Amino acid sequence: MRHFSKILIAGLLVAATAFGFASCKTGNTSSGTVTVGITQEPGTFDPHTVVAAGDREIIFNIYEGLLKYDSDGNLNPCLATDYTISDAADVYTFTIRNGVKFHNGQEMTANDVVYSLKRAAGLLPSSDGTPLVAAFVKVSDVSILKDDSNRIQVILKQPDSELLSYFTTGIIPADYEGADKNPCGTGPFKFDSYSVSQNVTLSAYKDYWGGAPAVDKVVFKICADMDAGLLELQSGTIDVFPHLTKDKAEQLSPEAYEIKSCGSNMVQIFALNNKVEPLNNPKVREAINYAVNRDDVISVTMDGAGVALTTAMSPALGKWYDTSLDGTYSYDLEKAKSLLAEAGYADGFELTVTVPSSYLVHVNTAVELASELSKVGITLKIEQVDWATWLDEVYAGRHFDTTVICLTSDYAPYDVLQRYMSDSDGNFINYSNPEVDEIMAKIPLTTDENEKVSMYHQVLKILLGDNASCYIQDPEEIVAVSTKLEGYNVYPMYVQDMYKVKFKTA
Amino acid sequence: MKDPRSKSFYIAGFILLGIVLASFILSLIWTPYDPNATDPASKLMAPCAEHIFGTDNFGRDTFSRVMFASKYTIFISFAGVAIALLLGLLTGLPAGYYGGWTDRGIMLLSNSVMCFPGILLALVAVAVAGPSMFNVVWALGLVFAPTFARVTRVGTMEIKQRDYIMHAQVMKIPSPRIMALHILPNLVGTLLPATVIGLANMTLFESGMSYLGLGVQPPDASFGKLLADAQAYMTRAPWLIIFPALMLIIYILGLYFVSEGIRVRTQKGGV
Amino acid sequence: MGRQAGFIISKILELLATLFLVSLLTFVAFSVIPGDTAQVILGPDASQAQLDALRSELGLDRPMIVQYLSWLGGLFTFNLGKSAAFGTPVAGLIAERLPVTIGMSIIALIFVIVISYPLAILSARRPGKTLDQIFSVMGHILFAIPPFALSLIIITIASALFSGFRAGQYFAPSDNFGGFVGCLILPSFCIALPKIAMTFKYMRSSIIEQNSSEYVKNAKGHGLSDLRILVKHVLPNSNVSSITVISIVLSDILAGSLIVEQVFNLPGLGRLLLAGIARRDFPLLSGMVFYIAFITVLLYFAADILGSIADPRIRLK
Repeated sequence: MRHFSKILIAGLLVAATAFGFASCKTGNTSSGTVTVGITQEPGTFDPHTVVAAGDREIIFNIYEGLLKYDSDGNLNPCLATDYTISDAADVYTFTIRNGVKFHNGQEMTANDVVYSLKRAAGLLPSSDGTPLVAAFVKVSDVSILKDDSNRIQVILKQPDSELLSYFTTGIIPADYEGADKNPCGTGPFKFDSYSVSQNVTLSAYKDYWGGAPAVDKVVFKICADMDAGLLELQSGTIDVFPHLTKDKAEQLSPEAYEIKSCGSNMVQIFALNNKVEPLNNPKVREAINYAVNRDDVISVTMDGAGVALTTAMSPALGKWYDTSLDGTYSYDLEKAKSLLAEAGYADGFELTVTVPSSYLVHVNTAVELASELSKVGITLKIEQVDWATWLDEVYAGRHFDTTVICLTSDYAPYDVLQRYMSDSDGNFINYSNPEVDEIMAKIPLTTDENEKVSMYHQVLKILLGDNASCYIQDPEEIVAVSTKLEGYNVYPMYVQDMYKVKFKTA
Repeated sequence: MKDPRSKSFYIAGFILLGIVLASFILSLIWTPYDPNATDPASKLMAPCAEHIFGTDNFGRDTFSRVMFASKYTIFISFAGVAIALLLGLLTGLPAGYYGGWTDRGIMLLSNSVMCFPGILLALVAVAVAGPSMFNVVWALGLVFAPTFARVTRVGTMEIKQRDYIMHAQVMKIPSPRIMALHILPNLVGTLLPATVIGLANMTLFESGMSYLGLGVQPPDASFGKLLADAQAYMTRAPWLIIFPALMLIIYILGLYFVSEGIRVRTQKGGV
Repeated sequence: MGRQAGFIISKILELLATLFLVSLLTFVAFSVIPGDTAQVILGPDASQAQLDALRSELGLDRPMIVQYLSWLGGLFTFNLGKSAAFGTPVAGLIAERLPVTIGMSIIALIFVIVISYPLAILSARRPGKTLDQIFSVMGHILFAIPPFALSLIIITIASALFSGFRAGQYFAPSDNFGGFVGCLILPSFCIALPKIAMTFKYMRSSIIEQNSSEYVKNAKGHGLSDLRILVKHVLPNSNVSSITVISIVLSDILAGSLIVEQVFNLPGLGRLLLAGIARRDFPLLSGMVFYIAFITVLLYFAADILGSIADPRIRLK
């Protein structure tokens, strides 16, 4: 009997596992379907209320705006064929592309564009006047030109030369209901389904004005976290996995995955609350900047895949970034100590860093920072909180000493720097300098590009001089792409562009 | 009553616990390296002469960190169990002694807490009092209290039937005094193994909380936290998993053996 | 019979009271923790106006107590309400996840019974001997490994042994039932292992107790075969403890095996609970806690009733 039960157990186990694996194998992804792993749960698919980066990267494939970014960060005409901006920067005029159809088969007209922009600007009669896209607060009217039904104009209450990038806002059919749950746009893929914490499925839109995409289906599969995603990647159930860390990417077999990367236009900041003792002393903030070894942080958290920052803008923004500021803060413990002594903190002090626990990179950064700052006598106490708590207490409530976070923004310098204006909602570090406020207010009124560049450089210089915070790195955006695929491009922003992706013909 | 097996269980248990305890005591006065000092230049080194357990992604010495972690593991399990035991006694004794509505009310509360997700409870504790080890300990104590309440209640109900308690009641000794002086000492036999098992379960639960970022706050660590952190380096640096896992198994096995020893000794026949 | 009915009625009242208390606890917990749904959905870049608009759209601008009472009121019409973050009925979200959880429960239970019972019988034949010792120590070691570490170890072993193994693959039961079952086998095994250790321990001691009883000794004296005694006498008499153990095992698994789901990336109830917490979704969270409490209390309740039928002494106490 003893013998019998042993055999029985062994037999059952073998049968169970054999059955399990055999059936798992049969479910290989059919050709023509590309699976992209994502780690955030989608919130909304409404192109006007969407703010979360993780939602934007999906709906990039569904909706299109008058203009559209390419993977180099250029703004190109899309649903508009061309545009003009008045000299005073208070009227934007667009020519609407003909022959574009929405996913529901309806032809796109200037009427739809006007409706969409009015909806985004909170100008519809049904709206309470609050713009859904905050930057459109300056829009006073959107209308079809009287002499040309194919052109529309956007009239502003006050000049704003920085508004162009917001015309990437998605266009939806006039009076369309349910864009948040059942999106309908003009993009290369149309929405199929969303099942909570499982996936979002898109299918190719055969009537896309630019020609049908190469793959039939795109599945955005929701993974619990990066490790779960990595397991799926290794087992081949995911074809594309963005936002990887370098050490994870290196674990993948080069035959199966190509690793693509580019600067992410993100700013990882060791945010110092400018209103809290002793961080309200600029000398203390300066000392911290000298005490942090950015290269070590990048080595520990990103395995070296990041660009060290000195100021609030990533070099990924090209000419808007001021390269003359590079290397201002060399790692210098002696200088940090003497600055602290000057500020009256020769014996150091204690600070708390509140980090969102779901972001391993930020938690790890905090650990490395704590070790580095202890060398100048600053005790950094780490407190992990969950994301919802972080948003409420730290970001919205501003109850914190320091935190570590990545600031994301559109590929537009104004969007990056706007948060440093004294009354900005995004100014969670409580930075305040009237000079910055003044320049930032002037920039939208300026149309000359060179003048704008020098104004941005000036803002960056002031932020640096005030030691607004301690800027750490622009972490590299790393994407693993199956070698079976081609045509995938990495964007310096949160975008998963699947239009040109196709399976290699063997 | 004496069973030779109880002795061997004790010996095995105390040897295993001794290893963890020794590393804890030693860590108070000496560790090979500062357990929290990072050194990116020597990160993820495999075990070698300088770092016998290797280093982690910050270049911290794993051996030092494992020693350091034993302190938090021991503290969390003991403090958590102490709180759970105290709450369990405070509720289980009256429930079992008075019976009736007191019993129903207390058990209702205890069942409700038991049904309530532990993670949500931990989150509340952290939200109310800030993320720190002490608050996690409170949450753990609350999560485990109903188990102790049940054991205490059943034990009390049984002891209550005994003659000497009846005598005491007839002699009009106040009830709290009967519970404290006559029932509680007789519960030790039932509660001791439950307490030792509780220590083990507490350690496991804490490692699960660390996995979700709710446990010990970095750079402090427990064995569970070390394991949770090591997950990201599973294939690249297996030594980060092996050594903390070994220590964790040693600790928990040690606790089990001791509890088996107690059970074998107190319960005839050996179960 | 009247006594039996009274027992059942008082148990049902107890169940209802527990459910109410648990929902009250959820409400209190939710009022205390910071964060709100609108903030999580919109992320840090949302303006105050956008937040306010979404809050009023989702009904989050009402006082917390009103939200709770309206949720509680919904219960009387068997309506668990609508998730704030996902905009779909909570009951639907739970139903969507049930296949995974129920599937894992069934498979895990099969593992528990098929492995722990024979091992317990073998161990109990000669308690204290080598085989018994080996099984007991193995059981303790399995118990000593945290669930997530156990899952990772099993994934690593499975990936090394079977080239066809794919962690994190999931099939909906309606698409590919075989695949669905297949994908749940390893996670169920991970859930089952500690439970196997636990069940083994209980069954073993229960059988040893039965074996040393007078009637088994009598039966042996009458020359009945070991197998016959085991099947006819010992196992039926161990049923009380097995019912209890199995109901504990089931209530643990049905409440959602959060960490295993997380590691294997399965859409089960544990992850739904986490999603509810992470998004500060009060209706979803209340619904989930309510469901978990319901399952837990119901199974304990069932164990009590079944136990009282199997062993009338329990009822008489």
